[in-house]
Amino acid sequence: MTTTVKLNKNGTKNNPVLALWEKHKNDLIPPLVGVIGFLLLWEMTSHLPGMRLPGPSSLFTDERTRILLLYPFYDRGGLDKGLFWQTMASLGRVAQGYSLAAIVGISVGILVGTQPFLDKALDPIFQFLRMVAPLAWVPIALVALQQNHPAAIFVIFITSVWPILINTTEGVKQIPQDYINVQKVLQLSKTKFFFKILLPSALPYIFTGLRIGIGLAWLAIIAAEIVMSGIVGIGFFIWDAYQQNYISEIILAVIYIGAIGLILDRAIAYLQKLIAPGQ
Amino acid sequence: MSAFSRRRFLTTAGTSALAAVFLKGCLGNPPEPGGQTGSTPVASPIALSPEMTPETTKIKLGYIPIVESAPLIVAFQKGFFAKYGMTEVEVSKQANWASARDNVVIGSGGGGIDGGQWQMPMPHLITEGIITSGNKVPMYVLAQLNTQGNGVAIAKMHAGKGLHLDITNAADYIKSFPSNSGRKFKAAHTFPNVNQDFWIRYWFAAGGVDPDNDIDLLAVPPAETVQGMRNGTMDAFSTGDPWPYRILSEDIGHMAALTAQIWPFHPEEYLAIRADWVDKNPKATKALLKGLMEAQKWCDDPNNRPELISIVSGRNFFNIPADILKPPFAGSYEMGDGQAAINDFKKGPLYWKDDIGSVSYPYKSHDLWFLVESIRWGFHPGYLKDIDSVQQIIDKVNREDLWREAATEAGFTADIPEGTSRGIETFFDGKTFDPNNPEAYLNSLTIKRI
Repeated sequence: MTTTVKLNKNGTKNNPVLALWEKHKNDLIPPLVGVIGFLLLWEMTSHLPGMRLPGPSSLFTDERTRILLLYPFYDRGGLDKGLFWQTMASLGRVAQGYSLAAIVGISVGILVGTQPFLDKALDPIFQFLRMVAPLAWVPIALVALQQNHPAAIFVIFITSVWPILINTTEGVKQIPQDYINVQKVLQLSKTKFFFKILLPSALPYIFTGLRIGIGLAWLAIIAAEIVMSGIVGIGFFIWDAYQQNYISEIILAVIYIGAIGLILDRAIAYLQKLIAPGQ
Repeated sequence: MSAFSRRRFLTTAGTSALAAVFLKGCLGNPPEPGGQTGSTPVASPIALSPEMTPETTKIKLGYIPIVESAPLIVAFQKGFFAKYGMTEVEVSKQANWASARDNVVIGSGGGGIDGGQWQMPMPHLITEGIITSGNKVPMYVLAQLNTQGNGVAIAKMHAGKGLHLDITNAADYIKSFPSNSGRKFKAAHTFPNVNQDFWIRYWFAAGGVDPDNDIDLLAVPPAETVQGMRNGTMDAFSTGDPWPYRILSEDIGHMAALTAQIWPFHPEEYLAIRADWVDKNPKATKALLKGLMEAQKWCDDPNNRPELISIVSGRNFFNIPADILKPPFAGSYEMGDGQAAINDFKKGPLYWKDDIGSVSYPYKSHDLWFLVESIRWGFHPGYLKDIDSVQQIIDKVNREDLWREAATEAGFTADIPEGTSRGIETFFDGKTFDPNNPEAYLNSLTIKRI
């Protein structure tokens, strides 16, 4: 392969990495400055006298945490697995609870949005239940379901279903009157109305709900995995580290949780672009 | 366009090359920590006669990652359960005591547990539905797991105030806390109405401090309690190994007393399993007990302690660095606050035998003490009415007969106690508990809720 150096518009020599940097630097510099500044500030405060919180450097200076940091894929069997496997196991649970929440949230949301009576009847219940914290659902789910795994999935489901449901309802209620008039004038069939008018116009709301929901589903993972006990998963990992007071391990796990949360959010946003471009 | 795709190609190739290097470095397992003690071979299975072949090879036992659960983990890891035919035992780490309680109510069929490690008298309370919102799940106490290995820690700000084993002279300091500091003296344990709650209550009351009225006593997770002891919002902590060692080595406070001093060779935690499982699988229960007994014997050999530590310290079990576990498993405790250090193997956790009798055997007289002490503090009013009703619960829950049969079958006949009582128990303050006359014990106590 020939690797001749291309001349760019200005006629100067340039390599591709630098060119990429030139192109995106206005997008990249602010977040980089933000992140590095935050880490520096954190590291400095951790050296203040009387400060107990270890700095970000503890991820590397603490021997046990360093192993976790450098070997995310290790597997000594049982609970003794790298953070990649812990995260994947948790992601599987979140996927189950969240899929259920998406199905139930969207379908009930559409039903409630199209039936004003149901909307008025159920709204106070929804608003009430969505305030309940994930941990508070744990004992209720256990007593009601009498099963460990379903209870954990239920906790994720119940935490993430509300924004999906409420946003879908709102989206359906917000269909412009003009569109409904069009349906009447053209005498569209119910299926046609659903697919051609209701769904497209409610879609942005639904996706907003889905994005908030995935964040909440991921937040519920610690509560869900405490229920299950003795399993591989990032939530139980944090709980175990907390019991032994391993702060730098918790910090590392929190970074994983945050990063996965970010990726999940962007994934749903990407999905939205695919399904409903330009909205 | 061609420039763009080349650029893209280069960045893609570059990142994947980087990723490959990164993956190669990080894939696989980290090097084993140095100084790994050579492990002795795993026990090999024995030939089982039909009378000894277990009905099932499967059971799920819950445990909490503290020294009390060591024999369960050893029996599992060293193949002692498998030796007697229990090849599919699962030991499952529980998030906390409340999770263990909820999981045993669910049972292994629903993803919970069949039994495991318990503080006392949890099996009795679960049997009666007292701590499971009326949901009665009969359980059997089958063996004691260990003795000792617990103690009372005091925050550093109270150094030099005489908060040691006997606090008779320091009682006024504790009682005058509200007028001097604007709040009550605050003490914590990890779960209400069980072992650690009893130890700290006994210690306070023996020194003339009423744990219900003179102080605040509540259940708090260990990590939070230790944090509170650091920043001055928590004063005392009833805790178990290896927290005492951590509290001393991190200069958070001192040990007022080890439970080995409060009540030498006291009963600690137990193996208990759901009654429906035991009734269905009596031979499997005995096989399990035999494996446990052999593990307990193994744990008590000082030569095996280094290997014991390397087994339990891993992330799979305790998730505690081996160095922190070494001192307690050697019975070596810094007490701090000018007290002499303790260095006696027999003051640390023991699993099979102690100077008074058997550790593994579940004496009914010990069950009785836990329930009588519950009456003393007025726990569960309406359920634990009198000594008679308590005796009935014990006869239902304590299955020392199964322990005896298992010990006989395994050939541990020399270590089988004669009776179901260990006799008169003596505490550090001179009080005695005669299992034949628990009323006299209750009458001898000054601070009580009856």
